[in-house]
Amino acid sequence: MALGAGSDDATPLRIDRLTVQYGERRAVTDLSIAVRPGEIYGLLGSNGAGKSSTIKSVVGLVRPVAGAVRVFGLDVAHDGRRTKEELGYVPETSMLYDSLTPSEFLEFVAGVRGLPEATATARARTYAAAFRLESEFEEPIVSLSNGTRQKVLIIAALLHAPRLLVLDEPLNGLDPRSVRIVKDLLRRYVAEGGRGVLFSTHTMEVAQELCHRVGILDAGVLQGEGSVAELRARVARGDASLEEIFLRLTREDEGLSDAVALLGEP
Amino acid sequence: MGWRDAWRLGGVAFGELSFQAVYAFRQGNLLPIGSASSLVPKGRRRVAQSKAIVSTVLALLAVGAAAFLQRGAMFSTLLFGYAVPGTILDTGVVTGILTLDAAFLWWTGLQVLPTLLSSSVLPVLEALPVDPATFRRAAALLYFRLFDFPVVTVLVVTPVAFGFALGVAAGAAVVPGVLASVVFALALSLLTGRFFVRRIQGARGGGGNSVVRWTLLLLWLLPSFAILGFVTGGFRFLFLLVAVASGGPSLLRDLLYAMYPVSFALFTGVAAHGRGGAGLDPGAIAALAAGFAAYLGLAAWAVVWLFREIRELGHLPTAPTAAGPRPTYRLRPQTAARAVLTKDLRIASRTPGYAFLLMLPVLDALALGLLTVIDAPRASAAEGLALGTVTAAALLATFFGPAFFAIEVLAFSYGRTLPLRDRSVVLGKSALIALVYLVASAIVLALASLRVTDPLLFLAFIAAELPAVVAAAFVELGWLFRRARAKGFPVANLYSGGWIAFLIAIPGLFVAGAPLLVFGVLGLPAMATLSVAELAVFAAFALGGSDA
Repeated sequence: MALGAGSDDATPLRIDRLTVQYGERRAVTDLSIAVRPGEIYGLLGSNGAGKSSTIKSVVGLVRPVAGAVRVFGLDVAHDGRRTKEELGYVPETSMLYDSLTPSEFLEFVAGVRGLPEATATARARTYAAAFRLESEFEEPIVSLSNGTRQKVLIIAALLHAPRLLVLDEPLNGLDPRSVRIVKDLLRRYVAEGGRGVLFSTHTMEVAQELCHRVGILDAGVLQGEGSVAELRARVARGDASLEEIFLRLTREDEGLSDAVALLGEP
Repeated sequence: MGWRDAWRLGGVAFGELSFQAVYAFRQGNLLPIGSASSLVPKGRRRVAQSKAIVSTVLALLAVGAAAFLQRGAMFSTLLFGYAVPGTILDTGVVTGILTLDAAFLWWTGLQVLPTLLSSSVLPVLEALPVDPATFRRAAALLYFRLFDFPVVTVLVVTPVAFGFALGVAAGAAVVPGVLASVVFALALSLLTGRFFVRRIQGARGGGGNSVVRWTLLLLWLLPSFAILGFVTGGFRFLFLLVAVASGGPSLLRDLLYAMYPVSFALFTGVAAHGRGGAGLDPGAIAALAAGFAAYLGLAAWAVVWLFREIRELGHLPTAPTAAGPRPTYRLRPQTAARAVLTKDLRIASRTPGYAFLLMLPVLDALALGLLTVIDAPRASAAEGLALGTVTAAALLATFFGPAFFAIEVLAFSYGRTLPLRDRSVVLGKSALIALVYLVASAIVLALASLRVTDPLLFLAFIAAELPAVVAAAFVELGWLFRRARAKGFPVANLYSGGWIAFLIAIPGLFVAGAPLLVFGVLGLPAMATLSVAELAVFAAFALGGSDA
């Protein structure tokens, strides 16, 4: 039975048996995960593991060949616009209107999202001050560094205070200060009841530090899911780091020492 | 490493450039589902198709002009009521062809140059262990490949066509003009492209800066409008040429003969028909020779300049921004449709291609409106001309409607993650088209009010056509949205299927044009009725679709 609005409203994100395919290539197979209220969920995987395809299915950029994605009970496939109102999205690459300035871009986003002037301005000023972005607010985006563009995207995602944040490698290109701000911001963000964060990364330290639970993807298939403690139990090593757990679950530790040894040869 | 390596490197870079131009991934588009393996060959096919279309247009222009000149006396008698001297007719027509060749090639370059500048294909090449000479050659070859088929078409078809029509001497005589036109077009593409990146794309936001940006854009676009003016006023130019040639020695004649591309065209005319009728006294010959030599020299210098400057294409510095106090910005969100309209205007103010399309109907209205005031012998004639000018504004605004949709390619995939209704985008862009029409009409109204006897009729005509203009925009944008959803990427430029936009403009022109035809036959009430009916029908088509 399909879940309708109201039947599962409290769960920020529920993905059921998702399959994504590009031509002959299958990117995600039968994936089922959920982001619970108050949770930062980390999606881990090597390059090409299916993290971005999963995220693009969540934000409606990719149409899955099977399965369902629900945001607060709303089906992305059938209620796309309402789910988009509920979420804020930071893409993997900085896909922006290069010829606009950050303030013009944020004004456009605020208009589309129907935000009042006072709210939009206050939030933009707060985030811009936190990221030390004010002096670049009237420069065209094309002239900004990758890190600064990323900050603009993060502000755009937060501008309407969404109940679900979907972040695809959001820390790429950010300076250490901004990385710290984003981490703190996400923790405080989910602490305010009912919100959730889906966060993709292949940086294990960040995931271990930030995520309440993680899902480990390999070749589009979920290999393990849970808190770091639960995953440690699963690989039967109480002191394992998330990196070790990841390598074990994805079987990428096989032949790893040989590969490292090869690097030492001329 | 030599030219062979440079060709190989340039070929790889061109493949990447074509790919990016077609799919616009770096501008924010997304990989279309289900076609990953066929993207590269499909991209190459699209680029080849686009070049073939431009080449065909250029070939048809040359062959058509040559065929016209072969029966020049007959055609000029039919058109003007008397036989224009062969030398002058050749000069006028060849001037037109050389101007159009240069304009088309320049336009082709401008279509792809922004992609080349943003693609990073040249900096990637430069980072490889390639010696500077090979890199310079690869960059030059890459740049020339933007124009290859069209340039070859112009260089081969034009002399051959004129050779067949007017004789071998005329065919040979047109070669210097064609060569110079090609070189000027390539140099202008690079020059204007750099100006755009340095002075317009990198300009700051804010109200005052917007005015400066639009002013610079106007300067940047002036040559294009001059070409449009020449095409619009081709007959007037021919009359001027006849008058000047038969009027004896004058400074105007000498200046005209020394001008590009008249000096090259007159050379062809003389080669075909001799000096008769051209008023070629020693002063005129000196002016012609001076112009001819000066432009050939300029073309030679432009070739050297092109080779020197092309290597800088990959990393153009933008204008340094003025350090100043931190702005006290305020976001002023608008309704979704208005937000789309404002965004498009802001993007256009930093993108010459879009600015050109926005300003074309407006400046055309200004030029034709002025002519109406100056030229019309009677008030009733002025009224007719003014109505014609408004008609032109309506059709021009409609014809370029699909180009406004192309703005959506910028951050296309990011835009799809926002809760933006398709109908808001269609409404925003249709409002932009209506705005262009209304501004153009207001200019004609203001100018023609001096001569028009029945301003109320004129005002009613403008109002009656407005729903049809919006209906035409609905037809075109509704269709393009459906196609973008089906294909996964919008038409962005010539390479990604600009010809589709031209095809889609045809029903749009029909919708905008039908009430104008009805006005001529049945009068204003019938025109207004049809216009409103069209709006009702096509609003349902464009605004009643998916809400995704």
